[in-house]
Amino acid sequence: MTIRPATAALVLFFAATLAFFSLSAPHFATATNFENLMSGFSFVAILAVGEAFPILVRGIDLSVGAIVGVVGMVVFDLTLVLHVPGYVILPVALAVGALAGALNGVLIVFLRLQPFIATLSTLAAYRGLTYSISGRQLVPGLTTTPIRDPWIVGIETYFDIGGWLGVSKFVTMPWFPLSFFIMLVVFAILQTAVLATRFGRDLYTVGGNYEAARLAGINTTRVIISAYAIAGFCAAITALIMVARFTTSTEALGTGMELTAIAAAVIGGVSLAGGIGSMFGPVVGAFLLGAVLLGLTLQGVPQFVQQIITGVILLAAVGYDRLLALRRQRRLALSLAEAT
Amino acid sequence: MSDDRKPNADRRNFLRTSMLGTAAIAGATSGLFARFDTSAGVPDISQARAQDARYKMAFIQWQPHTVPAAWSKGIEEVLGPQQIVDYELLDGQNKVEVQVSLMDTLINQGTSVIFLQPIDSVALAPSIAKAKRAGISVITLNIDATEPHAAHVEMNHYFGAIDIAKAMGDAMGGKGKVAILNAPPGIIIRDQRTDGFVDGLKQHHPGIQVVADQVADWDRKKAQDVLNTILAANPDLGGAYGVNDSMALGAVDVAKEKGLIGKFVVFGNDGEVAALESIEAGELTGTQYTDVYQQGRLAAAAATVVATGGVPATAFAQQSHLLMPYVIATKENVGTIQPSQRW
Amino acid sequence: MPDPQPLVRGIGLTKVYGNLVALKDADFTVMPGEVRALIGSNGAGKSTLVKILTGAIAPTLGTVEIAGKAAPLGDPSEMIRRRVSCIYQHSNLAPAMSVLDNIFLGRQPTGKFGFVDRGRQRREALALLERHGIDLDLDATVSNLPTVKQKEVEIMKALALDAQVILMDEPTGWLAASEVTKLHATVRMLKARGVGIVYISHMLDEVFAVCDTMTIMRDGKVIAESAVADIDRPRVVHLMVGEKLARESERAAHQKRHPRGTGEIRLRARNLTKRGVFQGVSFDLYAGEILCLTGLIGSKRTELVRTLFGADRFDSGTLEVEGQPVTFGTPARAISHGIGFVPEDRHRDGLMLDMTMTENLAMAMLDRFRRGLILGRNRMVEAGRRAISSLSIQPPDGTRPVKLLSGGNQQKVLVGKWLNRSPRILILDEPTVGIDVGAKAEIYGILRRERELGAAVLVVSSDLDEVMTVADRIGVMVSGRLAALHDADAVRMDEIVREIGEAAA
Repeated sequence: MTIRPATAALVLFFAATLAFFSLSAPHFATATNFENLMSGFSFVAILAVGEAFPILVRGIDLSVGAIVGVVGMVVFDLTLVLHVPGYVILPVALAVGALAGALNGVLIVFLRLQPFIATLSTLAAYRGLTYSISGRQLVPGLTTTPIRDPWIVGIETYFDIGGWLGVSKFVTMPWFPLSFFIMLVVFAILQTAVLATRFGRDLYTVGGNYEAARLAGINTTRVIISAYAIAGFCAAITALIMVARFTTSTEALGTGMELTAIAAAVIGGVSLAGGIGSMFGPVVGAFLLGAVLLGLTLQGVPQFVQQIITGVILLAAVGYDRLLALRRQRRLALSLAEAT
Repeated sequence: MSDDRKPNADRRNFLRTSMLGTAAIAGATSGLFARFDTSAGVPDISQARAQDARYKMAFIQWQPHTVPAAWSKGIEEVLGPQQIVDYELLDGQNKVEVQVSLMDTLINQGTSVIFLQPIDSVALAPSIAKAKRAGISVITLNIDATEPHAAHVEMNHYFGAIDIAKAMGDAMGGKGKVAILNAPPGIIIRDQRTDGFVDGLKQHHPGIQVVADQVADWDRKKAQDVLNTILAANPDLGGAYGVNDSMALGAVDVAKEKGLIGKFVVFGNDGEVAALESIEAGELTGTQYTDVYQQGRLAAAAATVVATGGVPATAFAQQSHLLMPYVIATKENVGTIQPSQRW
Repeated sequence: MPDPQPLVRGIGLTKVYGNLVALKDADFTVMPGEVRALIGSNGAGKSTLVKILTGAIAPTLGTVEIAGKAAPLGDPSEMIRRRVSCIYQHSNLAPAMSVLDNIFLGRQPTGKFGFVDRGRQRREALALLERHGIDLDLDATVSNLPTVKQKEVEIMKALALDAQVILMDEPTGWLAASEVTKLHATVRMLKARGVGIVYISHMLDEVFAVCDTMTIMRDGKVIAESAVADIDRPRVVHLMVGEKLARESERAAHQKRHPRGTGEIRLRARNLTKRGVFQGVSFDLYAGEILCLTGLIGSKRTELVRTLFGADRFDSGTLEVEGQPVTFGTPARAISHGIGFVPEDRHRDGLMLDMTMTENLAMAMLDRFRRGLILGRNRMVEAGRRAISSLSIQPPDGTRPVKLLSGGNQQKVLVGKWLNRSPRILILDEPTVGIDVGAKAEIYGILRRERELGAAVLVVSSDLDEVMTVADRIGVMVSGRLAALHDADAVRMDEIVREIGEAAA
């Protein structure tokens, strides 16, 4: 598999960031901090991986944060209001997320709405839906009732890998949260799908040249709706992890997360023009953002400055990608001139 | 052809950056082996530090607002002169996951005391439990959490609301109709302030009837719209209770517009500057005023005891509630509230 | 032996876009092992016919039969299933993917669970390259390849389908002579295997070299069909252009031409070069003449004239307007030097479709109507009225939104917008594309009138009979170079056709 130079640069930048903060931020290079990085940002990575799919088909999904909210509230209602057992709730949550995402795809394909507009509308609609189905507003007292169902709360578990491997004698190892392993599994499955299956090839084709895909006989409708459904599915997983972490859900859960997911995906090299990128970049991008936020907080940098820095990193990532693209175009024009 | 040049350039780039990267990774992993003192971040200096122990404390607010700003000021006034305390204010950005992440980071840093204004009472409970296990005391402000912790300092929401009901009923002559301009459901203090009011009316002025209880989102403009609608349905409405001052001031705006000042009774809750000034101008009838600075100072005082007095975080068998004193401020007594106390 | 069944049969195909009839009642048949040429000028309906046969669009009327059975229309995957494949003119590749993936675009061979069978894909591709003698790096990213190689990938993509019918739309526009020979060898080999080939091309040389039969189209209709052996070049050109127009262009050829007009040089271009687009273009444009720049699509004429107008920049060379050296960074500067530009895509680049005729006509000279900060409405309306009547725009109602006009009248509005400014130099890019014959003649009249008034007119046109009708001088561009410059009365149409057909060697 050829490694794109942009991806290599990203990994090295991530390593450099870790090194920088290890040296300059107190308590950064500690087991606890890496544990915080994993527990606080694995679910962001999952959301970013999901967001990569609509972007790959030259679209975008602004509603993933709202889907997190809807799924979170559905889980809350099912367990605290309707007392449905957890092993039923998990698949229902995933289905709700996938359907919410698929609806985006349907609006884009059949109503021919621009992805930005369609998902902006569903962003508002799903957030409104979250408020209207909120068990917290319907049943008093639920605002102080934590969720205790083991199937849900069990998602927030930590594993002493260091202890198992017997390494903790030499090195203080962080405890690994289950959400980290869930992220690895989601990543592995989706990365394989995207790189090695025909569905993946079709995805890249639709994103790279929609008309060529259509003329080549690809079922572009199915590809696009699937891409958005996957984004919704990943949003559902994110919601489950967050609900487990907080033992509750709020109406505002997930607000603003779509922007973080998009930023992580773009930093990870997924091109907004479509057809370029894989799942690896968004994962690295998410943890990069997390490392930066944690590092800056540990350094005592004010939070609004942190936001500025995050914005600068995003600009740099986008700018770097554009630079590569421009250089490619110039090289192509030169070679054309040489040939004639 | 130019294609030949490309792989070489890329290879050179890759080598250059991979050398940087290897150095970077080496630097990063060395921390895990704790060869140098990672708590100081730079290898060496910290030996001298061990002598004078410093206490780190931090306040995680909900989002920027006059109330947490005033708390923070009060906290700083108490902690500042105690030269051994490092205090910082952190912002939750109205997101639960941000507050949880900040809690994780503060625990990592070995904070002694965390002041917290939880966005959600249940969502922050696991973090509070985690802090307790790490020996960190947590003091919540105004909004309680479901996990027992060192102290909870709140405005006296419930009893204050009872007194508001009493004062309001007195102003209305013991009978008539009132409306409640309320916050969105799902927040504890909303329930406390509303239940207190309703119970207070029942206790002191059973002749007064609550004809409407509508959500106005803590917002002045929204409260105007909502009250207008209620007035249309109940033209003989005698008064309105805004569960916070912003909504009460919205009711005052409507009263002014309809020329009802003096006849229409409006009470708020919180005691912010705008409300006090409105009372002095004879527009707002009254509010529950809490010295928010004092609330911060009280929290900081409790924190100092807990941090330096040898009381471990896990020693609290039961949740302690510190209720702030308050004043039902009306035209008669609003002058007693000093400018330095106004927030 | 029974008559062999046609591979593809289009019956009564008609396609209407709003007001425009792109294709009218066309019949088209391809037999096994037949190489049929599809010939016609721009706008004759060839592309429309091809798009219907490949399922890219659905016809308004008519049916298509593949191997005797009626095929569903407007569905590319169906046509692919029925083994109809096409090499389109525009790029149909996914630029960020590899050559290997592009060859099997949408059909990469799969194993279990939908995993792509990389080994089999590579083996099949290598075998294909071997069979047709083409050299491609299977792992190269398509966007990194020069256009010539990209064209070869397109060809491989069509061949990989193992189709029964292959349509090739201007397949040799980007190829060098040696590659054209290779392509023709491939065509013959496919023909020997019974594959039917539709060869769409302007290059009559190639048509006569490799095709068996030809279908000639004009104005959306099939005009004639013939075996290649039974017809000669002049007759083909005649049919392409139409008897009436051919005679008219003969007549026009006897009209007084004014090469170099009044002798005063309005615009002088020397060695204009834009890397990778056009190089070393030099010519003079005189007041009082019409210079037509012709050539194939892809000869970069549009790119050249856009730099004359300041819409783009060239990299080197000089430009003089009325003796003064100029560099136009923006169109505004070009306009202030008295240059007007009627762009190729009038809908996208020229007209404000929702605004009225008056507003569009006034657009290029709003500053003339200004009084202080306010636009003088009455003067605008008056100027519009004059333009409408002098250009005979129908209906003569200045308040009508431009999108409701016919194509010909829209074009008149667009031209009128610039005429209002009395330009010293007027540049038009494909001014009569998609316009009916009557409106075309009116536009020619307008251009001649401007010429009489002393303007220097530069027309980019791919329509040969238009060129022969209206030009005083003719320039031929081939792949970014100005290959030839003739006085119109000193050259014959088939000479021009030949020059155009000479691909970059």
